[in-house]
Amino acid sequence: MPSDISHYAWIVPLFPLAAFLILTALGRQGKKLGAAVSVATGGASFALACAVYLGRLKEHAADYAWNSWTWLKAGDFSLTMGYEVTNLGTLMLLVVTSISLLVLIYSCGYMQEDERFTVFLGYVSLFSFSMLSLVITVNLIQFYLFWELVGACSFLLIGFWYRRPEARAAAKKAFLMTRVGDMGLFFAILLLYWNMPNHALEFTDIQNVFSAHTLNLTGAPFSAGLTTVIALLIFLGAMGKSGQFPLHSWLSDVMEGPTPISALIHAATMAAAGVYLIARTYPIFLASDTALDVVSAVGAFTALFAALLAIGQNDLQRVLAYSTVSQLGCMVLAMGLGSWAAYSAGISHLFTHAFFKALLFLSAGCVIHAVHTQDIRRMGGLAGKLKTTAWTFGIGALALSGIPPFSGFWSNDAILAEAYRDRPLLFAVALLTAVLTAFCMTRLFFLVFLGDGRGQAGHDDVAGGAAGDTTGGAGNPGDPGDPGDPGDPGDRLEPLPRTMTVPLIVLAVPAAAAGFLFLPGSAMSGFGRWLTGGSVKHGAGWAVLLLSTAAGLAGLGLGYLVYGRGERAAVRASGADGGSAALSRYGRAAEAGFYVDAFYRRAIIIPVKGLGLLLEWFDRYIVDGLVRLAAHAMLWLARLGTRLQNGKVQTYGLITLLGLVVLMLAFAGRRFLHVG
Amino acid sequence: MLNNLIDNLKDPASYLYMLFAILAIGGGIVMLNSAKVVHMVASLAVTFISLAGLYLTLGAGFVAIVQVLISAGAVSILMIFGIKLTKHRHDGEDEREEAEKVGARSGHLHEILAAVGVLALFGVLYYAIRKASFPTAPAAEPVNTILATGKLLVSRYALPFEIMAVLLTAAFVGAIVIAKREEE
Amino acid sequence: MSGILSPYLTLGAILFCIGLFGALTKRNAIIVLLSIELMLNGVNLNLVAFSKMGVAPSLTGQVFSLFTITVAAAEAAVGVALLIALYRNKPTSDVSEMDELKH
Repeated sequence: MPSDISHYAWIVPLFPLAAFLILTALGRQGKKLGAAVSVATGGASFALACAVYLGRLKEHAADYAWNSWTWLKAGDFSLTMGYEVTNLGTLMLLVVTSISLLVLIYSCGYMQEDERFTVFLGYVSLFSFSMLSLVITVNLIQFYLFWELVGACSFLLIGFWYRRPEARAAAKKAFLMTRVGDMGLFFAILLLYWNMPNHALEFTDIQNVFSAHTLNLTGAPFSAGLTTVIALLIFLGAMGKSGQFPLHSWLSDVMEGPTPISALIHAATMAAAGVYLIARTYPIFLASDTALDVVSAVGAFTALFAALLAIGQNDLQRVLAYSTVSQLGCMVLAMGLGSWAAYSAGISHLFTHAFFKALLFLSAGCVIHAVHTQDIRRMGGLAGKLKTTAWTFGIGALALSGIPPFSGFWSNDAILAEAYRDRPLLFAVALLTAVLTAFCMTRLFFLVFLGDGRGQAGHDDVAGGAAGDTTGGAGNPGDPGDPGDPGDPGDRLEPLPRTMTVPLIVLAVPAAAAGFLFLPGSAMSGFGRWLTGGSVKHGAGWAVLLLSTAAGLAGLGLGYLVYGRGERAAVRASGADGGSAALSRYGRAAEAGFYVDAFYRRAIIIPVKGLGLLLEWFDRYIVDGLVRLAAHAMLWLARLGTRLQNGKVQTYGLITLLGLVVLMLAFAGRRFLHVG
Repeated sequence: MLNNLIDNLKDPASYLYMLFAILAIGGGIVMLNSAKVVHMVASLAVTFISLAGLYLTLGAGFVAIVQVLISAGAVSILMIFGIKLTKHRHDGEDEREEAEKVGARSGHLHEILAAVGVLALFGVLYYAIRKASFPTAPAAEPVNTILATGKLLVSRYALPFEIMAVLLTAAFVGAIVIAKREEE
Repeated sequence: MSGILSPYLTLGAILFCIGLFGALTKRNAIIVLLSIELMLNGVNLNLVAFSKMGVAPSLTGQVFSLFTITVAAAEAAVGVALLIALYRNKPTSDVSEMDELKH
């Protein structure tokens, strides 16, 4: 029976866990076997996730929770673990399993030559396991457990090429920044634990307490101030994982790891975990207007900030990273608007963003794999040689820019509609962000795929890498969509293995079409109702629709004007722009992330390091010094003792005399003590 | 005792005691402070002789004579023999030079501690002597101690006497054996 | 002072302590032996004094002091013999250099 499939949702994370264990046991051998195992388990979990989703498609599917495994008991308090299957969770299961599977297939082509290939697959499987378990957790402690596990996996993956110092630094930075956010979440859990009736931390209990709270303010265990504090602390956790300002700079360094995990982390999963957290604890946010204001403001600011940063970057992956941050800001903005309609708008954007962002990252990976450079100023004219990559990238870019009828348009429009209704100022910010995003994507597309090649024929970095290196992946003859490459002497691009291009095509489908789930009218409100279990009204204002389309097209046009035509474009593109100094200064500032990292370095890292050095000095000289002092004192005492054993009779005689005297004095003195 | 000092000074019999006591103690102190070893032996011989005098005042004639013969005579001569047989390269001034040669610090500590210990011991002994109450002695009639001692030695203390003989034999045989030059 | 015991005991104690100090402090082995002789003589004085003026005056004290003198002489002889044997080994009669019987 379909609805009973929900009972088996807990098996979904177990497939990747099994893959992780098998891959760890395999070690570094067995690349083919490892690849087969991971893809098979990925496929299995995807299939089960689809089954669960289909089973819940009918209206009013009940949430199913099983929460009976006692994990620890402390006196009266016992912590149970279990799983809960809601519609939101099912959606996330679908997203995570599908993108994980596609990333795994892609990695088989991308990471084939790496000697730690099976380790990589193992980590990716572990990551899938953690993320999938996160999605079906039943209480906040379990959620926190898997939240941290996801963070640890991202650390492992970002620092996968650990021999490079930049990779190590990036992994450390990611972990530390998300940790700062996680502290907020932890304190929120503590506060909830202390104040919830029965110390219950289950999501359903939280929902009950806080929903009642919004309706009936008297007699609630949480004051308004406390609710706001808890909500803000939870948001801090979400800020860490979802890269909101000021905890955003770790996302742009994810590129130090292999490209497939940029797709995995940015697009589908970890970055969206923050938004998911807000969604799960939404009743707390609804109960506090201050928190909602903060959330939406931060989201809007991040969106605009990151979009401004994105248009100044010259590294292909960094552009995409900052655009991810910007889109996450939009999602957070939507969640902060404070209505169930906005909630479903945000979640729908999360859904579509997962697909087209993964598509963009994977195709970027294809480009990088082919030309061995990440600097877009050195690319150009690749559309002829990497056809499949080009048109899938194009679809992704259009989706991200919010051009109808691609999926991004619908979800973005939903957010804009809700913003227009509730907070016009933020609507303006979001609209501006949309323009900038479209501009950025157009710039990217033109610089990478169109125009004249600026970096290929005769260039050392390409020739050195590609010469004599025709790895076709798992025995594939190469991408049939690129007929131009191997034979042409002027262009020495590697052919792309089919394992890398097929996921692109597969992803292009939902990137293009998933928007139709959200069409205004019956289907969209159906989605909203299905998601939230209540009736959700969507205002499908035509004004907003037109405005958002116009914004997207405006951005597109601007990009074409600046980068699309003729020699001026080529000059600008190569970065040797003799034009305004302001623009190049802007470019430099953007590359430095508007100096946020420099600020962190000066304001936080150096003082903390200084404190660390001080404490280390203290530890070494005072704490260790005391220990060594004790040791030396004992040694000194011992040496003193050995001096008594010097073999000289007179010394022994003296000691005997002294001992005798002491004894006699003791006996004689007893008389005095007794008398006195 | 000190309270009665003045009274005792009037008693002529105590002059002897004081004389012999000062000689004995003086000899000991001179021994401690002498530079040359032979001087030390000589001063100690003076002490032994004055002790013999004290025994005489105590009515122990035989013991006095034995003391002179053996301690002041044999033992002192023996010691001088020993000194001459084990002569250093530096003749005479052994004590001072030795003390300066080796690290004086530990030597001084040793001496100070020894002095402290000895003084403490003396203090305890003196305290015990003061606190003890001795019965007033009955006047003992002078006896011919030599005859009486001889009688005791062969009757009551015959066994210790014989054991002493054995001890002396063992001692001198042992001394010869130890000091004999090994002729291989 | 022939009737009082304590002066003799005090003198004996003084001699004993002087001898003890010499035995512990002097570096020449002969002088150490000599100091031990002094200690024994101090004890002797005690014995003789008690024999005349003690609780039960008798000749036992004097007889015993004879024995003590004998033992002292024997010990002195053996001590000098030992010293000569040691001197043959290591040409020193310094007590503080005879420290090999240790760990």
